[in-house]
Amino acid sequence: MAVWTCRLLRLSDALVYRATAILPRTGAGTSPLGSVLVHCVRTAKTSTWWDEHLTADNVEFLKRDVAEDYSRLTAAKLNPLKDEPWPRHEWEEQSRRVGLVAVKLGMMPMWTKSGDRHVVTMLQVQDCHVIKHMPKDEYDGRSAALVVGAKNVSPFYRSVEYLEKFQNAGVPPKQKLTTFRVTENAVIKPGTPLYAAHFRPGQYVDITAKTIGKGFQGVMKRWGFKGQPATHGQTKTHRRPGSLGPGGDPAKVFKGKKMPGRMGNVYDTAFGLKVWRVNTKNNILYVNGSVPGHRNCLVKVRDTVLPRHLEKNKNPPFPTYFADGDEELPEDLYTEDMFQFGEPLPE
Amino acid sequence: MAACTQRTGALARLIQNVQFHHERMFSVFSLRLQAAGSGDKPPTFTPPSKPVILDKSKPEEAARRFVSPEFIPPRQRTAPLKFFLERKDMIQRRRVLNIPEFYVGSVLSVTTSDPHASNNTNRFVGICIQRSGKGLGATFILRNIIDGQGVEICYELYNPRMKHIEVLKLEKRLDDNLMYLRDALPEYSTFAFDVKPVHLSPTQEVPVNEMKVRMKPRPWSKRWERPKFNIKGIRFDLCLTPEQMEHAQKWAEPWRQYDMLKEYDTSTLEEKIYQEVQAELRK
Repeated sequence: MAVWTCRLLRLSDALVYRATAILPRTGAGTSPLGSVLVHCVRTAKTSTWWDEHLTADNVEFLKRDVAEDYSRLTAAKLNPLKDEPWPRHEWEEQSRRVGLVAVKLGMMPMWTKSGDRHVVTMLQVQDCHVIKHMPKDEYDGRSAALVVGAKNVSPFYRSVEYLEKFQNAGVPPKQKLTTFRVTENAVIKPGTPLYAAHFRPGQYVDITAKTIGKGFQGVMKRWGFKGQPATHGQTKTHRRPGSLGPGGDPAKVFKGKKMPGRMGNVYDTAFGLKVWRVNTKNNILYVNGSVPGHRNCLVKVRDTVLPRHLEKNKNPPFPTYFADGDEELPEDLYTEDMFQFGEPLPE
Repeated sequence: MAACTQRTGALARLIQNVQFHHERMFSVFSLRLQAAGSGDKPPTFTPPSKPVILDKSKPEEAARRFVSPEFIPPRQRTAPLKFFLERKDMIQRRRVLNIPEFYVGSVLSVTTSDPHASNNTNRFVGICIQRSGKGLGATFILRNIIDGQGVEICYELYNPRMKHIEVLKLEKRLDDNLMYLRDALPEYSTFAFDVKPVHLSPTQEVPVNEMKVRMKPRPWSKRWERPKFNIKGIRFDLCLTPEQMEHAQKWAEPWRQYDMLKEYDTSTLEEKIYQEVQAELRK
């Protein structure tokens, strides 16, 4: 769809006269103007702003209508059991459940009943839905997978192919999509909402997210090198890497040598973090310690793979927690040893 | 003799009168005793209730409004929900533990439970030299001098080990941070453990103690004369020459006050949070 735009600049005029004309490709060469400099620029004209050719009223209407449509969609998905639910299986050893995509809110302190202080990260599960189910042969031939998305976004700035995925699931478009490997007995129907109560206090989780980008950094910050002394005759050598290795025998720098470069902005996983508390009303997970990523970033939360914590992850809500199930949950779920702020003073 | 008989007659009448009076009094007392219902127990004295004198001529003063500084969220791009949830926990804790109004410069007595102490409690008295932290992680530092040794303890406001906070003297000082008391003469941070709390009525304005402290000889832990600390509570004239004071102005950054990006007006936020906290605490 690219067109040839020719910019004609008549140089003979004292005043620089600019004219833009769209000429057919063949016509450009056969221009009748002798003293005209013909300058051809290839410009892609395929994309427009979504509201470029709309009146202000229509833009407003579309925004309102789409928002209503999506809230209706979300409400319809609240009861996935009503329309042809998929069969549910019991949890057994070696089962792997789906995980969640959550927004990192920030950190706060908490105390145990014995008065020890810990810090927790608050993760909010916001509009988290199962988007797609990929059976074994479709995914990689080894295990089935579920695609999960979270955090509703405006559809006006997304490609058609991206929006199609959400149309198939019948949910509003999401900011983040993640794939979880699951066992065959843990598959969930696309369009099912996922809640923070998917995880329970006392469980252990792994959290994956992109770390905060630090830009181009030297070896002291990036790899923790020691650097050189500040004084004692150092010249221009305080934070430099020093030697890169032995000289004559290998006669090369080994591959993977730690050097300065871009730091951060890569995926990182924090393994084996304890879930201290779950707020079922606002869908908040209170996870022990720090997790990668900046505030308000989207993180991937799943059951831990560490063998030492498998014992504590037994018999979770399987395949996930359903809001319309029989289980009635209080607003806050705590581990037994966590101090609750409304409690009377412990001795 | 006649006079004598007259006198005896008068005496007899007097006695009769007295008896009569006594009878009346006795009858009243016995009635009261019967009303009390106790047979042979001595009557207990119940003092009459104190009359409350309301001065109607003066307009009724409103109580001080005070929002604890840790309720005000820091200025950053964090979802407001996070601070809301934290506030909920803080209010829950405040229902159990009374955290009074206090400022930097107030003298506090804090009782905490301490598993290593005898009878499991520990009481400390000192002047609050700093309040820091937002939300549940809010802390304050108490300073005192015990046996000639300066002691500072950093307490967490919402720690479950905190048992009792009492304000012995509610007042403010000229500065919002009294860390310079470390370099001041010890008399300014010495407080007795057995003082009685000074009452300040809730309608009264919190007094500002305009005391200026004298410092130990330099060097200090920080160069308190530098403009970035903006300290008003030190007698600089006793320890620094005018030349030195002028030299400290070299580090002045007078353009900072015009930096509009650093402005953070919390008045509306404070009002909203005050209403929310009061409504929750009244529940």
